[in-house]
Amino acid sequence: MRCDQPAIRSAVQQYLDEGRLHPPHPLTLEIEVGQVPPVPADSAPPFHQPQLTFYPGAQPGRLTIVWETAPAQARIENGTGTARVILSPAAVDRLPECQAGFLMMTVIFLLRRSGWHHVHGATAVDRRGRGWLMAGNSQVGKSTTTAFLASRGWPVGTDDIAFLVPCEGRVAVHAFRSRIGLRPGGLGLLAIAGGVFQPKRGKTVFWPEELGGTWVERIEPEVLLFPVIGADRTAVTPLAPRDTLAQLVRWSAWVILEPQLAQEHLDLLGALGRQAPGYRLELGRDLFSNPQLIDELIP
Amino acid sequence: MSAPARYRPHPDLRLTALEGEGVVLHLGTRRYFTVSETGLAILEALRTPRSLDEIVATLQERYDVSAEHARTSAQAFLDRCLAAQLITREEAPE
Repeated sequence: MRCDQPAIRSAVQQYLDEGRLHPPHPLTLEIEVGQVPPVPADSAPPFHQPQLTFYPGAQPGRLTIVWETAPAQARIENGTGTARVILSPAAVDRLPECQAGFLMMTVIFLLRRSGWHHVHGATAVDRRGRGWLMAGNSQVGKSTTTAFLASRGWPVGTDDIAFLVPCEGRVAVHAFRSRIGLRPGGLGLLAIAGGVFQPKRGKTVFWPEELGGTWVERIEPEVLLFPVIGADRTAVTPLAPRDTLAQLVRWSAWVILEPQLAQEHLDLLGALGRQAPGYRLELGRDLFSNPQLIDELIP
Repeated sequence: MSAPARYRPHPDLRLTALEGEGVVLHLGTRRYFTVSETGLAILEALRTPRSLDEIVATLQERYDVSAEHARTSAQAFLDRCLAAQLITREEAPE
């Protein structure tokens, strides 16, 4: 991480250090503060996401990421392993938000160049030592489930940001270590106190250890779960192989960007689908009133 | 008599398989699709551009199916793939 502004360098470095990522090749974030330039004119059609726009370059490997919340831009050039980031003063004023959204996304696309492919998921290890990957969007109960598992003493890795990593013929999932964020509903279900309330996120955050769990850096998934919020009863339904694969693609959505990396990413998802069976997990309130259910959930 | 049209994968198509079934991405439209075992067999056969007759022959080598049924199924699948821009159809030169 390079930045000539000590306060920014320190804050971003702390955020990245807490994440405990150890990519196989050196990657560099070069951050400066200034006027954000226009997007290169030769960019391919943009891909829009909430608060972010991606402009693939005409040359393979080039990518420009724009933060729409406050002016900020990251450019990744082919083969350099470096992202050149320009933050406007308005973006600096919102640095925590900028780190969690825009800078994290820049890191995700840098890591992609090292063969680490992002998946929107949570990780844990069950009582039988099997790695669980729970993939899904931010409203399906991943964080509540991760906090619940930690409170049961399970090792957990992340409630949100994970990376698929090739590992000796198998697929491992590396966690970005960050605090588990719970909304008031999740806090109520788990009946826990403590944590740090973050008003802007409307969440109370905990390290896994504060919940009674431990942190696990990397798992080899043997169980793939795609949670949805249910009603009263928790239920698990096995998925057909192609449905498992479709779910993995859905929650590892950057596979559709950057043609030069798409097949490698897709092959990793296919290998993961072959490695572990997939299940639809309907999360019911009975899981929280009868916590030992979780130990018997997956045969 | 002119040569029949041939089908080939769109350059933006990416494919992966799992237990005989698959998922197909179109990087241009940024959409993805699941495909059945038969659909996967057809798309894998199209790694070399093929006519409908050649696709029917491929399906008959692989499955115990009549030529008529294979032709109907293959044509329906090719039409769906064309609509989704997953494949292209090349008319043979006169």
